[in-house]
Parts: sequence; C-alpha cells; structure tokens
Amino acid sequence: MSWTLAALFVAVLPHLLFMPAPVSITILALLGWRALAAWKAWRPLPGWLRLVLTLGLFALVLVAYGGMWGRRTATALLCVMLAAKLTEMYRIRDLRLVASVCFFLIATQFLFSERMIYLFYLAAGCLVATMALYQIQQIPPERVERIDRPVAPDPRLTARAAGSMLALALPVALIMFVLFPRLSEPLWGLPEQAMDGRTGLGDFMSPGSIANLFIDDTPAFRATFEDGLPDRQYLYWRGPVLWNFDGNTWRPGYHSDRPAEQPVPITDNSIRYRIQLEPHERRWLLGLDHPVRSSLPESSVTSDHVLVSRHPVTGLVQYDVISTPDFFDTPVLTSFQRRLALSLPEGRNPRTLALGAELRERYGDDRELIASVLRWFSEEAFYYNLSTAPLGRHGADEFLFDLRTGYCEYYASAFAVLMRAAGIPTRVVTGYQGGFWHESGGYLLVRQGDAHAWNEVWLEGLGWTRVDPTSAVSPLRIEQGARSVVSGGRFLLDWPWVRDMLNRYDRLQHIWNNWVLGFNADRQRNFLKRLGLPDLNTLSIAMLMLAGLALVIAPIFLVLLKVRETRPTSAAQRAWMNLLRRLRRRGLRKLPQETPDEFARRIAAEQQTASAAPALLELAQLYSRVHYGPPRQEMSEEFIDRARRFSWR
Amino acid sequence: MIRAAIGTGSDRLRARLAPHFDRWIQRRGRSQPPMRVVYRQIYVLPTRFGWLLGLLMFGMLMGSLNFNNNLGLLTTFIVAGLAVNSMLMAYRNLHGLILARSSASPVFAGQHAELHVSFRDADGRERPNLELASGGRIVRFSVPAANTTDARLPLPTQRRGWFKPGRIRLQTSHPLGLFEAWCWFWPEGQILVWPRPADHPPALPSSGGQALGRRRQRDMEGDNFHALRAWREGDPLHRIAWKASQHHQTLLSREFREEQAEHLLLDLDRTPGRHLEEKLSILTAWVLMLEREGQQWTLRLGGSDHGPASGREHAHHCLRLLAER
Repeated sequence: MSWTLAALFVAVLPHLLFMPAPVSITILALLGWRALAAWKAWRPLPGWLRLVLTLGLFALVLVAYGGMWGRRTATALLCVMLAAKLTEMYRIRDLRLVASVCFFLIATQFLFSERMIYLFYLAAGCLVATMALYQIQQIPPERVERIDRPVAPDPRLTARAAGSMLALALPVALIMFVLFPRLSEPLWGLPEQAMDGRTGLGDFMSPGSIANLFIDDTPAFRATFEDGLPDRQYLYWRGPVLWNFDGNTWRPGYHSDRPAEQPVPITDNSIRYRIQLEPHERRWLLGLDHPVRSSLPESSVTSDHVLVSRHPVTGLVQYDVISTPDFFDTPVLTSFQRRLALSLPEGRNPRTLALGAELRERYGDDRELIASVLRWFSEEAFYYNLSTAPLGRHGADEFLFDLRTGYCEYYASAFAVLMRAAGIPTRVVTGYQGGFWHESGGYLLVRQGDAHAWNEVWLEGLGWTRVDPTSAVSPLRIEQGARSVVSGGRFLLDWPWVRDMLNRYDRLQHIWNNWVLGFNADRQRNFLKRLGLPDLNTLSIAMLMLAGLALVIAPIFLVLLKVRETRPTSAAQRAWMNLLRRLRRRGLRKLPQETPDEFARRIAAEQQTASAAPALLELAQLYSRVHYGPPRQEMSEEFIDRARRFSWR
Repeated sequence: MIRAAIGTGSDRLRARLAPHFDRWIQRRGRSQPPMRVVYRQIYVLPTRFGWLLGLLMFGMLMGSLNFNNNLGLLTTFIVAGLAVNSMLMAYRNLHGLILARSSASPVFAGQHAELHVSFRDADGRERPNLELASGGRIVRFSVPAANTTDARLPLPTQRRGWFKPGRIRLQTSHPLGLFEAWCWFWPEGQILVWPRPADHPPALPSSGGQALGRRRQRDMEGDNFHALRAWREGDPLHRIAWKASQHHQTLLSREFREEQAEHLLLDLDRTPGRHLEEKLSILTAWVLMLEREGQQWTLRLGGSDHGPASGREHAHHCLRLLAER
C-alpha cells in the first residue's frame, strides 16, 4: 500500500506542475487522504460518495481545462481518475492496477518533454512502481479481499529486489530500444502541442514579441557544421518572412507557402550543417540563408526561401541542410510582389512617410538611401535594449522620433515602414541570429533568447538583400549575441558560472538528443548498415531483435539459475561438506534432494562390499543430530573429529 | 440454459480428458515426493494482471512508436524487461525445489485432512511466496535458502476409506505477480479417512446374549477362577489355595470372577442403523467413547474378532478396519 501511493506520487509529480492548481491540489489531497486512511485504518468511503466524488473530479477537470480536449486534458483526467481510484483501493487487484498505470503515466509525461533531466524521473518512477508491485506480491492470499493494514516488509529489501529487477530489465530494454522496428510514418495524427504554453518564435511579429523571448534560455536548436563555424555575419537563421503590416503587427503574405520558383544552386561557398531542432509546434525549420534543401522527408523550401516541414514539429527532429549564402534571390519582382512589399496601412505614421518621401527626393540610389538611414541609426541617439514600450497608432513615428530605444523588432518594423515609404520594396524576416559556440562539443547552441528580426530590401540587380538595422545601432549584438548588449541579469541566478554550468549541461543534452531522442527509423537503418546489415525490412529487424533478446536473456537466465554453493554456517557443516567433497572424488555423489541419512543408506545399499559404509551411515546420523538437533558442543566436536578421520575404502 | 448445457458438456469433456492429462503430466517426470522440480514439469503463463499489464504496454508501445517518442519507448521496454524477468524469476523460484516427502494424519470423513509437504532448497537460494493450491484452497509459504520448510495444505474429505488426493498445484507468481509458474504433483500414498462418528450414538450395547455390563465388576463373584490373592479375613476356607499357600509361605485365597465381564463386544451386525454407513458411524462413535473411557472392547466385523483390548492403538486399528470396511 505505502509504495503504491509513493509510486503514484512520483508518477504524477511532473504532471502536477503543469496542471491548473485546483486539479493538482485535489490529487494531492486524495493521495494524502488515502495514506492517512491506511495509517489510521479508516473505513472505506460508501459507494455513493465515491461515485459523487468521481463525477465531481471529472467535472473539475473539464471545467479547469475549459472543455478543451488535448493531451494535457487527457493526462490530467487519467491522473484524477487514478486519484479517485484510491478511494476504493482496498483489494490486491486495485493496488496492482494503480501501480501498473504508474508506468503508463510516466510514459505519457514524455509526450510533453523528453529532456535529459526526465531520465531521473523515469528511473525513480520505475523503481518505486516496481517496489510497489513487489510489495503487493508479498500480501498473502488469505488477505486478498481487504488490505487495510499495510504489510510492511523491510523497505531496504524491497528496494534491493526492485532495483535488481530493474537492473536485469535494462539489457532487454536496450536491445529492444535499438532493434525494435520503428515507424517511419506515424500511424495517426501527431499531437499539436509540444511547448507546454511556452512561446517560441511566432509566425507574426508585434512590438515586444521577440523581446519577450530574450529571457527564455531554453534551446531552440543546435547546429553542427561540416567545415567549422562559418563567419558570424552568415549566422542568420531564417524563420518566417513577413509581408503584411497592419500598423502594429507583421504577418506572412498569403503567397508565402508556395514552393520556390527556382531552386537554389549549390556552389563552392555552400555551407553544409546538421540541425537538431527542438519541438516548437510550427512548421518552419530553421536554416541559414538560403537553404537549398534539407534531409528531412516531406520538407520543402517556400518562395520566401524558408525551409518548412509538412507537419508541425512536435518532437525533436534532426536534419542535414545545405545553404548557399551568395544566392541571387528574385532578380525580377512581379508587380504583385512589389505592390505587397510597398503597401502601408492608411493614415498611420505621417512623420515616417514624410521622412521617406524626403529621403527619396534626396537620394536617387536605393543603396545610398539605405546607407544614410543606417548611418542615421548609428550616429543619432538610438539605443538597443529590452524596453518594450507599447506603441500607439503611429508606432513607427513614435519609435523613430520620440522613443529611439527598443529591441530588434522595433527597428525592423520601423525600418520597413520607412523603406516602404521611400518606395523600396521591403519585408521583415524573423528567426534567430548567432548562437553560443560550444567549443568542446563542436556545435552551435541557439536559444530562444537568440531570436531576432531583420529586413530584406529588394534592390535592382541584387534581388532581396538582407539589411539588419539592429547591426547599425548595436554591432555587438550581431558579433557577440544579444546577451552582450543587454546589461544586468535577466533572471535570478543569472551569473556567469551558472551560465557556464548551463552550457555544460547543454552539451550533455546535445549528446542525449543526438543519440537517444534522435534515434528514429532512419538512424536505426544507418546503425544496422554500419553493423553490415543493410536494407533490412521490418520483419527481419524484428527477427534480429528476437535474436538479440535471446542473446541477452540467456546469460541472465543462467545467472539466475546458478546454484549457489551453500556457505557452511558451522564447523560441523564445514566438516560434512568436506567429507562430501572427498566422497565425490571417489564417485559417490550426494543428490541434492537426499538427506544425509538417505544418502548414506543409498551408498550402503549400492556398495555393499565397502567396509566403510556402516561408518558413513553412523556419521550421517550423527551429523543430522548435530546439525538439526539442539546445539551440543561435545557431540559436534566428536562428529568433526570422526569426519576428519573418515576415509572411504 | 444453453450455457448450462455447454457447461455440463465441457465438464464432461474435462472429466473424460482428465486421466489422459494426468498421465501426460506424469510422463514428464517424477511427480510424487520425493522429487525435484525440473524444467519439464514447470509451466509458466501470465496471470490476469500480467495480461492487463501487457495491454497497457501495448498502448504505451503504439503511442510511443507513433510519436517516435523515444523515452516513452524506453519506459515501455523497461516494463517489457521487467515482465521477462518476472517470468524467469517465477520459473527459477520453482526450479530445483525439492519435495522431500508428504504425509497426512488420518481424519474423520468430512474433516480436512492436513497434508504436510516437506520442501527443501538445495540450490542455495531463497524461495519466497510459494503456494500450494488444491480445490480453491491456497496456502502460502517460503523456503529459506538451503533449508527445509513444511507446508500444510488442508484437503477436504467426504467419504471414509483410503483417500487418494488428486494432483496438487505448487505455484508461485513471485516477484511481481505478472507470471505464474506452477508444477503438479501427487502426494505420496493415500490418506486414511475414518468414518464420520455419529453425532448422537445410541447407548452402548449392554446385552446381545452375553453378559455385557457397563461397569467394572470387581467384587462380583463368579464361577470362573480368576486369580490368587492374599488371604483376607472373611474369606471362606474352601477358597484357600493350600498348595500355593504352602509354596509361598503365606495364605492365599482363590478369587473367582464372572467371565468377560470387563469388556464389550461391538458387533457390526448387531449395531443399530438403517444402512452400513450409519452403522459404521455409530461404531466409530462407540470406539472413540470406549477409548476415551479407557475400557476394553472387542470389535466383531463379519465373523472376525479384534480384541479385546483397549487404548489408542487398538482404537486406531478398529477405526482403520471400519474405514476400510
């Protein structure tokens, strides 16, 4: 009983953290009540009360989740129903049900997060649930019906038994993990949520949407490069490209999803790298400018040169990408594209529009115009920081002429408005910039906090060209990352050594992701190929797994069945075993099921000519008396003495 | 009704197949103590809970495979590993176990005969949570490493005579209750079941043509010489055994007693009762009564007399004769 409750507690713990408070408090209360009821031997609740309680809890979950059906609601419901089951947990079968569903609960947690830290949860949860099952098994059958009073074997013994069972289960689990045939295509729909309410980079941009990500230290993705880290100026990880502006928010153009009209060529300057993308519930895959293709099946490049997958990324994915930085994007702008890239909401930002018109008059060349604006940004008192002042109806005006301080999305937005006002087709690109180069791990870690927004302007003869107004204001941002330009800690304990620890931990996480989480049908096939077993179909992989299992189970079985030499507990027993050993050398073997007496009789019957047979029989009888009878020193000594002198003739 | 018909049909089928099944089991190895449980005799199957966990595992497997959720898969496979171990450990809990002997003391029909089975481990490992099961009755016991344990399994008896217990199941679902390993054995020999003693037996027979008195008749004089004893004042002269007195240098008197006055004859044919079983029942009750009172009796069964004698041994002898009748 006690361990069953403990198992449930451990299994629901991470679920509780993500539940609405009333639900998690109810579950904890039921757990506490059941523990107290077992301790104080309270009577079980009446049936009608249990029914009311169950229905009430069901309603509570539905209300707490607002009737939304999803994985969170489903697991919350499972947790709550298990907690309700506690009120009628008075029989062995109930206990077993609860203990075994704990394994299920543990597995469901991984639908939400598979971070390495949860390995501890997996180990602890499995151990306690196994202990619970082991403890339940100790309940004698006559107490099958009512188990109010907890049977309490030594917890250390239980833990040791469960621990050794788990340890023996590991080889089987690992073989199955590596060789169980994986699905290359899901059987049914993938889940929609994977972020647990965290926000990553969105598919629109409004003031503050990227600044808010700054404090988010969770990894967005990691990249390993074939030829080492490229120059920092190339590290623009392209996400959604935004065309439509309503005065406050930038959104993608509705044509953005179309496939690219012309493929990006691979040149000598192409960068080859591998991305390990954390789930973000969106379809885009991050890549450097301009992605040629990725190795992920069902991925494509849109007309905005964004890598997208056909399904939202709800699990860790790994893919290889080739990008060509010096690509001539869209040599000819269609009139439709031009109109879209120049449109501005009516009746907003009059000062910016006026400035745009003024600049247009002053500079004939687009490039000079842009250079002058960037110069203006860097020479005037523009500041780059995290302040996310809400902007009013004339947001660009307020920013450019009054506020002059803000994060990258303020600059990107205002710059785009100004460019469009000056008649230069402009769009906003969001994504990530830079990242933390993990020297020992040899990979680039890009966090959510590295989210960035920049612009692309269309220039005659150059096509879409990246312009990053932030770099004009704060070049450090591009060279050393966002953290270098924003002073002060972003959150509690934001000290260098903590960051260093987090970076070290991320190294492990990277390896973990790479080898454990990223193991899928493809990698399985690659692994088998490396073993010299190419092109196996599902059935032969399954056969291989069975063979592997047999290979692993056989030694376990042999170890389990090994006959342990009985260690003598007394001098008399040692003398007897010594005697048996001597007889064994003479070919007289005591069968395990024989008592000393039976053995001596059999020998006497088989070897009638042997003169020592009667003496052996006497010795055996004496030994039985010494070993099983009340302890008597002189008898024991006599036996030892005679056993020593005995020899078979 | 159809169900009932099927039920009886399957019962009949089972009854017809049972002997074949028993023989099949017995062919697979020695199945009577003293025996050592070996692999040919051990059967392992999942328990109901094992099937339930299997179902749960299947759910976990499908979910994790579909989402390619590797930690979910790992959890599933750990549970699978636990299940495999559970199977191996249930098997190993029985393997090599020694059933040294089995015995049961006689009981009266209707009582439970307590079968003592002596188990021994010679492989140096503990055998926890073993169970003996027969007819819905389960007793749990453990055998310590390299040691001996007696398990007592009560077996219901119905009819007098020699009772041959059917096969008994030695089972274990150690350690997690997912798999049950079991083997079958038949106890050694047979169990003697005495007739059920009548609840309200009629009074002991007092007549029957022979002088059968209930009390000891110490002082009653009879015609038959019984013994010599020291002369007491008041003994008539003709009772003095002169020759013997001279020989022993003291006066001795001859004592006479009524013949057979000190024991009863219990005759099956003369015992009241409507049928044999009832008569045996009454006789059993009488024998117990006489044994308790320390009297002598003779049991006459179909012309042969047993006794006269008294005491526990005689009672057991008589009870056995009654049981076998």
